[in-house]
Amino acid sequence: MIAGAALVVGIILGLVLRPTVPGWLEPYLPIAVVAALDAVFGGLRARLDGIFDAKVFVVSFISNVLVAALIVFLGDKLGVGGELSTAVVVVLGIRIFGNAAAIRRHFFRA
Amino acid sequence: MSETPPPRSAVPQLLLDLVTNPLDPGYAAAARRRGTGPRPRGTRSAAAAVLAIGCLVIGFVLVTAYERTHRGAPEAKKVHDRLVSRVRTAQHDSENLAAQAAADEARLEALRAQSLPQSGSLARDLDAASLAAGLTKVTGPGLTVTLSDPKAATSTPAAGRAGSVPIGATTTLTDRDVRSVVNELWRDGAEAIAVNGVRLTPTSAIRFAGEAVLVDFQPITSPYRIQAIGDRDELAVTFAQSDVASRYQTLKGAQGIGFHFGDSGSLTLPAGSPTTLRYARGGTR
Repeated sequence: MIAGAALVVGIILGLVLRPTVPGWLEPYLPIAVVAALDAVFGGLRARLDGIFDAKVFVVSFISNVLVAALIVFLGDKLGVGGELSTAVVVVLGIRIFGNAAAIRRHFFRA
Repeated sequence: MSETPPPRSAVPQLLLDLVTNPLDPGYAAAARRRGTGPRPRGTRSAAAAVLAIGCLVIGFVLVTAYERTHRGAPEAKKVHDRLVSRVRTAQHDSENLAAQAAADEARLEALRAQSLPQSGSLARDLDAASLAAGLTKVTGPGLTVTLSDPKAATSTPAAGRAGSVPIGATTTLTDRDVRSVVNELWRDGAEAIAVNGVRLTPTSAIRFAGEAVLVDFQPITSPYRIQAIGDRDELAVTFAQSDVASRYQTLKGAQGIGFHFGDSGSLTLPAGSPTTLRYARGGTR
C-alpha cells in the first residue's frame, strides 16, 4: 500500500523534475534500472511468501546497485565494462524471471 | 547431491541457486530472526518509512531511465527530418536552377541568332568553335566501341559494406579502360565522342569513384558504349590496328570482358554541358 503510493510519487517526481542524467552516470543507469526491477519483483514475491522485510528490501536494492556499479566501473577501467555490465544484467535478469515465475505461481497456482 | 559437497561444485551450485532460488536470501534470514510474533509499533513505522523511501527511489530511477531513452529519440528523429527536408529543398532548388539555366540558354540562343549575322565568317567561326567545344548536338558517321564487364564476376564479391571492397576485387573495367579507348579514338581522328550518352568536352574528365565510372561527374556503369564521330573507315581501320584494341581483344579471351566495335552510318551525340570559365580570358578582345 505504502510501497505502491511511494512508487507512484517517485514516478510523478521524475516526470515533474525531468532530471538530466550526467554523462559519467550514464553507463550505470541501465544497471540501476535492472537492479530496481529486481528489487521490485523480489519484494513482491517476498510479500506474497509472507516474509517481506522493508530493511532487507531497501538494503538489498541499494547494495545491488552499488555492487553492480562498482563491477561495471572496474570493468570500464580495465576495458571489459561492456561484458561485465552484460554479466550483471544477465544475473539480475535471471533473478527477475525466477521471481516473476514465483509470483505467477502465487496468483494462478500454475 | 551428497551431504558434503566437494568445494569444486561451488560454481555450479552458485548458478543453480541463481536459477532455482532467485529470492534474496536476506528475506528468509530476516524472517527467521524476527520469528512469528507481531512486531513492535516503532519498528513498523520505521519500516514503512524505509519502504516508502526505497520505492520512491525505485520509481524515480525507472522514470528517469524512461525519460532519458524517450526524450533522446524524438530529438534524433527531428534532426533526421530536418536533414531530409534540407536535402529535398536543395534538390528542388537544383531542379529550379537547371530549368532556369535551360530557359536562359534558349533565350541566349535566340538573342544571338537575332543579333549575329546568319551567315558569313563570324557565324562559321562560331559554329566551328561551339562544335569543337562540344556545345552543340552533332550527327555524323563514326565508330561505336562497346566495353562491358564479364557476365559472371571473375572473383566473388566480398561481403561487407559497399565501398569497403577494393576496386580490383569486384570490377574488372575501370576508368582507365574507358579513358584509353577514348584517347585512342581521339588519336585516330574522332571529332566528337560520347560515353554512354555523355558528350565529352575539352574539359571532361573520366574518373572512378566507388564502383562507378564518372564522366563529367555523371556516373555510368557497364556496358560502356563509346561513340565517336569521324571518318568511319579510317576510324575503324586505325582503331582495329591500335595497341588498345589488341589489348582488349586479348582481355576478351583471357578475362571474359565484352569488347566489340563497329562503324555506323549515322551517330547522334548530345550536346555537352557548357563550362563556365572563371579565370581564363580570351586573348583577342
